[in-house]
Amino acid sequence: MKKLFALLFVILLVSCSPIPPTEVAGHVNLNDLQPLPTPEGYEAVPLRVAVAAVISPKGTVESYTPFLSYLEEKLNRPVELIQKRTYLEVNDLIEHGEVDIAFVCTSAYIQGHDTFGMELLVAPQVDGKTTYNSYLIVPTSSSAQSMEDLRGKVFAFTDPISLSGRVYPTYLVQELGFTPEEFFGRTFYTYSHDEAIRAVASGVADGAAVDSLVYEYAIARDPSLAEKVKVIHRSPDFGIPPVVVSPFTRPQVKADLQTLLLAMADDPDSREALASIGVERFVMIDDNAYDSVRALVGVIPTSVVQP
Amino acid sequence: MIQKVSHRAWAIIGAVSVRTKILGIVLGFIILLGVGVMVQARYALSSTMTAQLEEQSISVSRDLAARATDPILLNDLLGLHDLLGETLANNPNVRYAFIVDPRGQVIAQTFEGGFPLDLLAMNSVKADEHHHTALIETEEGLIWDTAVPILDGKIGTARIGLSDASMRSALSTLTAQLLLTIILVSATGVLVAVFLTWILTRPIMALVVATKSVAKGDFTPRVPRWADDEIGDLATAFNAMTEELAHTDDLRREREGLRRQLMEKVITTQEDERRRIARELHDSTSQNLTSLIVGLRLMETNCAQCASISTATNLRDVASRTLDEVHDLSMRLRPRVLDDLGLAAALERLAHEWQARYKIPIDVVIQLKERLPGEIETALYRIVQEAFTNIARHSQAKSASLLIEKRGDTIRAIVEDDGVGFDADANQGERHLGLLGMRERAELLGGTLLVESTSKQGTSVFIEIPLNPQPAAFDLQSATIP
Repeated sequence: MKKLFALLFVILLVSCSPIPPTEVAGHVNLNDLQPLPTPEGYEAVPLRVAVAAVISPKGTVESYTPFLSYLEEKLNRPVELIQKRTYLEVNDLIEHGEVDIAFVCTSAYIQGHDTFGMELLVAPQVDGKTTYNSYLIVPTSSSAQSMEDLRGKVFAFTDPISLSGRVYPTYLVQELGFTPEEFFGRTFYTYSHDEAIRAVASGVADGAAVDSLVYEYAIARDPSLAEKVKVIHRSPDFGIPPVVVSPFTRPQVKADLQTLLLAMADDPDSREALASIGVERFVMIDDNAYDSVRALVGVIPTSVVQP
Repeated sequence: MIQKVSHRAWAIIGAVSVRTKILGIVLGFIILLGVGVMVQARYALSSTMTAQLEEQSISVSRDLAARATDPILLNDLLGLHDLLGETLANNPNVRYAFIVDPRGQVIAQTFEGGFPLDLLAMNSVKADEHHHTALIETEEGLIWDTAVPILDGKIGTARIGLSDASMRSALSTLTAQLLLTIILVSATGVLVAVFLTWILTRPIMALVVATKSVAKGDFTPRVPRWADDEIGDLATAFNAMTEELAHTDDLRREREGLRRQLMEKVITTQEDERRRIARELHDSTSQNLTSLIVGLRLMETNCAQCASISTATNLRDVASRTLDEVHDLSMRLRPRVLDDLGLAAALERLAHEWQARYKIPIDVVIQLKERLPGEIETALYRIVQEAFTNIARHSQAKSASLLIEKRGDTIRAIVEDDGVGFDADANQGERHLGLLGMRERAELLGGTLLVESTSKQGTSVFIEIPLNPQPAAFDLQSATIP
């Protein structure tokens, strides 16, 4: 009888122990905490490239990786991509010399140039032009014909200081005699143009104003978007978002970069790098190409522009 | 081997009471079932939860990788840290979470005050893989570590560790609950088994008690038929058997009584007849023979020259021998001394004559202070007479002894010889019949007769007869003969 109970006890014990794992990668003591090693610095000082959030951070990485690799190869030094959520944050970096070169939005350039001397480097040329527009887009199913029809609806802005995504539609609303707060039922910021297109395509927003370059690029990449959104209004031409340098960027670096970018279109190796950011070539541009925009920005009260 | 084991098992199982057997069956089944269910339930729960943990590990890390993309790209380390914290807070099974950049640097993590550096090398994932899960052994138990590439591995890897603590706790909770259930069910089982045993053994115990009574000759007990089952049938059969036995016993006792009565009558009649013949021989035949002898002697004296004197002398001799023989016959049939002087004198005389005839010395000790009841004296006399006859005929003894004494209310007699002995249990024709007759006489008076004899060791016959015999259990007056 005792033996029988002993046997039962053993069975019980075996059944109580956990099922042995099939394969174990190794043993780690989770409470043996050690300081993390400090990151190794770059061998060479990297070229810091900021890209304003015209498109989402993820989209930016995908688009700019070939371009940055090209720079890395040509300049023979590491290139670091720096992204920020808003245009203003990028402007701050440029102002304090924390980036060497930046792709900024038109209105961000005007603000940077007029406040701390942001310098134009080159401008991209797309479809033979160095201008772009703001498109007012609505879902395909929408009956809206103009900004007037979007009254009381949900509207998506991109960035608080974006010309095409915030300043121009605000201008349109003001023309109708309202502030955006009065005119729209609700507004929100997507902080990038591709996200604004997505917000309209998915019906989260009833309308949005977006960068024509981003819109065309997005339609080219995903033709199904054309079935979901339509353009109901097109702004006059604005100066294209330029490539700028910080006032702290060394003149030699600025000159090297300018030479490299201007010659890029003639280099067969650059085709993929240019195509992925949707640029034909880089050209020189003068600050007065942005005067029309300055006039428009001047109409919009700063209190409205500031987020 | 198997046979040995089964024998041993049966020796153990067979030796315990029915109560223990039923208890054992009930408890055995409960425990066996409980353990089986527990093993199965633990196995099923464990496999399900393992699969769930692994799936959860994958989904949580995929989610983390997707949500970490923007904070990483925007270099929003605080946001990343908050995201990991949220992941940890919202998934209790997550033991840790961290993000590694493509250079292998940990850029955000949930360990506080350091990092277990060994953990880094435990798992990795290729850029084109969906995820990679590794099982890691830690001092806190097993961890499912899942690595997911962030933005195709361009900006790093998200790592999540899911602890199996919840699974282990669920398993121990289940085990504890099942054990408790087994204990409760066992306790109930014991109560049920005790009740069952009581129900089952109560009629059996009643049967045992009744059987013991029957074995002692008491046929009155009847067992109740508790239930309409096999044991109930047994009780009914037992009652029928007891009734039959009681009936048979009554018949046996009746016949025994009749037989005894008959035997008494036969013996009494025989004794009376012997006494009458002996008296006749003594009183009439002996007198006649004596007269004949006296006449013949006168004839010899009166005619001295008679030619027929020798004839008369011869006739007187014949008559004298015949007289002796008649005396002897009368003596053997029914010694007068037994009636006149009692058992002691009769036996002493019997011994004396027997010794004289067979030339075997006999030692006689008779310690009786007074006369015994007539039937006891007759019975003892006949028994000793038969014993003496047996010694003379069969024993080839060199000597013999007779002891008769009164002990309390019992008369005890012992007849011994140093002869060849015999097998007292075997049936040996005439001698056996003789012994049977001796015993019959003793038993008719409520006494006993015991023969002890072994080959070449002599024979002892022990007789005990009570002076105040118990009245016979059988009452002849009320008995009816079918």
